Amino acid sequence: MRRAPVAYSAIAVVIATGAVACGGSDAGGSDSGATAAKQNVTITLTSKGCSPDKSSIAAGPTTFKVVNKDAGAVTEAELMNGDTILGEKENIAPGLSGTFSLNVKAGKYQLYCPGGSGPEKVDFTVTTAVAGTAAATQSPEVTTALKTATTGYATYVRQQVAELVTNTAAFVTAVKAGDLEQASKLYAAPRLNYERIEPVAESFGDLDPAIDARADDAPDPATWTGFHRLEKAIFADHSLDGTGTIADQLNTDVGKLNTLVAKTTFQPAQIANGATELLNEVGQSKITGEEERYSKLDLFDVQGNVDGADKAFTLLEPALKSLDPTLATKVRTQFTAMYKALEPYKRGTGYVSYDTVTQDQRRALSQAVDALAEPLSQVAGIVVS
Amino acid sequence: MVEGISLSRRRALFGAAGLAGAGVVGATAAACSDDPKPISASAPRGLVPFHGARQAGITTDAQDRLAFAAFDVSAGTTREALRDLLVGWSAAAARMAAGQPVADDDAAPQAPPRDTGEAVGLTAGNLTITFGVGPSLFDGRFGLAARRPAALTEIPPLPRDNLDPLRSDGDLCIQACADDPQVAFHAVRNLRRLAQGAAVLRWFQLGFGRTSTTSDSQDTPRNLMGFKDGTNNIKREDAASLDTHVWVGADGDQAWMRGGTYVVTRRIRMLLESWDRDYLRDQENVFGRVKRSGAPLGAAAEFDDVPLTAKDASGELVVPEDAHIRLAAPATNNGVTILRRGYSYTDGVNQETGQLDAGLFFIAFQRDPRTGFLPIQRRLATQDALNEYIQHTSSAVFAIPPGVRDDRDFWASGLFAT
Repeated sequence: MRRAPVAYSAIAVVIATGAVACGGSDAGGSDSGATAAKQNVTITLTSKGCSPDKSSIAAGPTTFKVVNKDAGAVTEAELMNGDTILGEKENIAPGLSGTFSLNVKAGKYQLYCPGGSGPEKVDFTVTTAVAGTAAATQSPEVTTALKTATTGYATYVRQQVAELVTNTAAFVTAVKAGDLEQASKLYAAPRLNYERIEPVAESFGDLDPAIDARADDAPDPATWTGFHRLEKAIFADHSLDGTGTIADQLNTDVGKLNTLVAKTTFQPAQIANGATELLNEVGQSKITGEEERYSKLDLFDVQGNVDGADKAFTLLEPALKSLDPTLATKVRTQFTAMYKALEPYKRGTGYVSYDTVTQDQRRALSQAVDALAEPLSQVAGIVVS
Repeated sequence: MVEGISLSRRRALFGAAGLAGAGVVGATAAACSDDPKPISASAPRGLVPFHGARQAGITTDAQDRLAFAAFDVSAGTTREALRDLLVGWSAAAARMAAGQPVADDDAAPQAPPRDTGEAVGLTAGNLTITFGVGPSLFDGRFGLAARRPAALTEIPPLPRDNLDPLRSDGDLCIQACADDPQVAFHAVRNLRRLAQGAAVLRWFQLGFGRTSTTSDSQDTPRNLMGFKDGTNNIKREDAASLDTHVWVGADGDQAWMRGGTYVVTRRIRMLLESWDRDYLRDQENVFGRVKRSGAPLGAAAEFDDVPLTAKDASGELVVPEDAHIRLAAPATNNGVTILRRGYSYTDGVNQETGQLDAGLFFIAFQRDPRTGFLPIQRRLATQDALNEYIQHTSSAVFAIPPGVRDDRDFWASGLFAT
């Protein structure tokens, strides 16, 4: 798991600060790139909900300023398109204000400021850009391809979580039966499902720590739950005594994840950034052997992360091929190289125990991950349009 | 012959001393005298021109900080992809040397910024980025075997070596020097990022303080042993010595290397705990200099001639037989001298012993390591009194091609010319 998960819906907020941090283009330090947004919308939070200063804008880069003068019950504003949060600013208590920036395309949107006494959502219209503003126009083919990618990814996530539910249930049954040998055999399968979609799970607050925390992630050993708590019982302690409630809890938490992903939708850039996050997972906790320190199944997790990233990229690939064919080829080439780097460690349907992988070999794997993740990280900026 | 070279060096040194006050501008112009575009006269303070007949970072006044990286070209990289890497690197390096980020980041909120950003708001701090290629690049991978210069030969094992192969050698190197450590680090970090998929970082050494001076306008700094070292370095004002000892001339066996040079790097760990327990007189005998003033033993001032033959009342050599200064002096090495441009480094604590892991990251430029570094080090490795307190832990050699002429040219372009 990650130490600092970033919620999916919060991506727009990250952007707003990112643009400021990376702006400068000359040594003198003048911050030329900081102001991308050309228009502003001020959303005042009231006791009823959202009160924007305009209900319609032209497409293009826009900064939304969220102001709270005295609304105690309403502290956040979201720009939504149906069920999808495109941008939001949270924790704006009375007396505070904040901003988020987005490049908004023409369409019908809603402003949502939860907690108010008035209508839940306020309609917000974005018209076709006036000449001179930078609203990218997408070819219908690309739009269709990206739509296919987003629905395809949602399907993939639901399918993986459904398998996770089944595989976890079987594993939990073995744990509760006190069958060490069977439990050790059934441990790997749900891990693979989970690692494929981990960034999605991370977007649901406490759920990822509950399911996937490592020993040093748990603030108090007594509250440590999830796969790795059971991994330690099976592979290090060789005793399942007292793990019944942890096994039950894991089943419940995985079930919660299943309910949540049924309602989750994705944007192309989220899918691409999620793929990069999966590879960052590999580089940060798998290559070091931290993730599966008792079972030594780290390469199995790597496979899961790479699978998930590959699936995300494969879904975006048709659109990327028309938008930036060079980048599409570059990423595909590096995926091929990544699989080639993993090949020597395959044994049947699994992998060698990670403690047999030498320092030099780990370094080579890590370099293959970096070589893939770098071009992959460029994809989101291209498919976001 | 020996004395002739020594004399001409000394004359040049003193001749230029009067000009020291003229400062950096005139000095840089001298170093780039055969640069078709002498930009230096109008170059803003803190900027060293990137383009020119020779690469910057060799005779450039030694900056305070170093970031030195060696890379290995990744398996499967084609000759074409290698060339593309060098084109991209040269363009990025030119921008960074001009105090700009590697790319103008238009606000693309969903994409990672192309420049990593930590140098924004900092001045360029005389940043120079110097590029080289190692002997291993000329194996069969890129069809370059016939372009390997005879001078680019692996440094053979030398007496007392204790080399870590993971900190040694490499297909490519980048030396970034600047007066600001963050600027130097930023340069290597961004070039490394641009290389993803084509080359991987092999080793990376930071240096926190210069240990040599490459110009008469600079004071001689001290190494971590507290001594002035490199007093008799080749200075950029001494064009004749540079031509004789540093630059590859028209007689170079490979046309693409003419106007270039060769660099040897050695990570020399100093056993500082032992050194600090050595008594002053012995420390001075080890170097052959007075610790405080830097004067050669038996002389009055730092730049006085080393009295190699002087003896004391009891008939002993004033500068001992095994003193570092004697064994490294051109006069005792058939006139051979090399341009030293090293930096003090530390990598924290040696985990095995709990002792400091610190010393000198030695960098030396010469027209041929076989007649430059190698014979000098062979001699030092067997005779130098300093050996008791040092250990060579890494070694590398790279060919440093001539400069990038303009923004249509790129590093080592001559290597790819048909």
